[in-house]
Amino acid sequence: MPFERVLVAIDGSEASNRAFAKALELVAAIRAELTALAIEGPLPVYAATIAEVDEVKREKDAFFGGLAARAREQASAAGVELQVVVRAGHAAEVISSFATEGGYDLIVLGHKGHFLRDHLLGSTADRVAEHATCPVMIVR
Amino acid sequence: MSDIAIAALLAGTILLASTVSVEIGLSVALIELFGGFVVGNAFSIDVPSWLSFIGSFAGIVLTFLAGAEVDVPQFKREWKASISIGLVSFFAPFAVVGLLCYYALGWNHRQAEIGGLALSTTSLAVVYAVLVETGLNRELVGKRIMSATFVTDIATVAGLTILFVSPTIWILPFVLVSIALIVGLPKLAPWFFSRFGDRVIEPEIKLVFAILFLLMWLGDRANSQAALPAFVLGLVMSGHYVAHRKEQERMRVVAFAFLTPFFFLKGGMNASAHALWANLGVLALLFVWKMVPKFAGVYPLARRYAAPHATFTTLLMSTGLTFGTITSLYGLNAGIIDRTKFSLLIAVVVLSAIVPTAIAQRFFQPRADRRPDLPGVAPAPVGEVG
Repeated sequence: MPFERVLVAIDGSEASNRAFAKALELVAAIRAELTALAIEGPLPVYAATIAEVDEVKREKDAFFGGLAARAREQASAAGVELQVVVRAGHAAEVISSFATEGGYDLIVLGHKGHFLRDHLLGSTADRVAEHATCPVMIVR
Repeated sequence: MSDIAIAALLAGTILLASTVSVEIGLSVALIELFGGFVVGNAFSIDVPSWLSFIGSFAGIVLTFLAGAEVDVPQFKREWKASISIGLVSFFAPFAVVGLLCYYALGWNHRQAEIGGLALSTTSLAVVYAVLVETGLNRELVGKRIMSATFVTDIATVAGLTILFVSPTIWILPFVLVSIALIVGLPKLAPWFFSRFGDRVIEPEIKLVFAILFLLMWLGDRANSQAALPAFVLGLVMSGHYVAHRKEQERMRVVAFAFLTPFFFLKGGMNASAHALWANLGVLALLFVWKMVPKFAGVYPLARRYAAPHATFTTLLMSTGLTFGTITSLYGLNAGIIDRTKFSLLIAVVVLSAIVPTAIAQRFFQPRADRRPDLPGVAPAPVGEVG
């Protein structure tokens, strides 16, 4: 079997939705394990009140709870068992290290195509492709 | 500049600070402090009396809210393990900074006490944010760190109220009314809030504000400070607010929309760029004087009670923001410290919010998933890296 453990990055964007749909197709066809990884941005640091932190945390909980639920629904409809993991940190770093630590043999992620940022800083997809220790499938 | 022109300028700054805060994910309080610093120095604006008044009240409201944010049941479970860390975290920098300000910098004893108090604090909110970020808020070590932070905060507000009291006859009514409110409000609140609460006109918020103004007035007449009773009042109301989250939310909305921005702007406006530039060496010394005793005092205890996250715990206990700002502003308003000393203290307070947090997150942050409680989301293990 070419791939046994597939990791797909999700963030609710159109690009990641396309990548997730393609990952579902692939995993259903080859009967591999699929994990969806969502990356959260940081909570407000150096906060003056707990309320500030709680508010952002609640927003993120609602967003990522919804994202996980939708992903599981889609996976269930496609007959695929899905594990969803949410990690905090820098997207490219976390995706690469999570894939390495988890022994994944394929990373699937979308390409958003921000012209200026991509040319100045490189896209998340570029950086994951550069640092990952397994094959990377970028879905446009 | 007229009062209304200053108000318009500050309102614009507050709006800008809140939008920048949302965009870059940085605490609005820090941006407001910075905004006040820029506006105050760029336009050479002296803090008007109305801003000073609102700022003072906002400081008491913040103190009340900080008390109301304490997780009392958790504190009751963990206070024994946390009290040594919390008290050492307060007394070590308080003593060292106070003594060094007195002997090395030549401050008088009241100024040295303000310096010691302002730099002895630990920021509950900064600690909480990092613990939630790392998922440690669900672990025993995180609960102990939070409880230790409560202890440090209580020691700070107690010091602020007790150290600077030069009692008049009014101390008696101040103490008696404080005790009566602390005992009575949690009993009165359920009836009052159910009879008059949940309305647009917000009688429950007006009740709390009226009580805080009463405490401020009595404290003023007694030549004391309302910080301790306000904090304890928040503490005894925390259980009520846990059961009535919407009331707490509305209280926070009023406070954060109107009151606290003026508090932090006032803090920033009183900080002088010239004074900071001329005293960079003293600034560095004060920062070191805060950090070294915090580290020397807390680290051995953290190794005992918060292993394997001792360094991380110690760095978090070295942070400070809200109570440091409240204490520094109290010293300035009461005429105990001048603008130069205030500028130095507030700058060290801000640095102590940023530097230890950044080091803790960059080099000692335990790896964890902060969302294991979401449906369908898998947990990840906790383990220190770096």
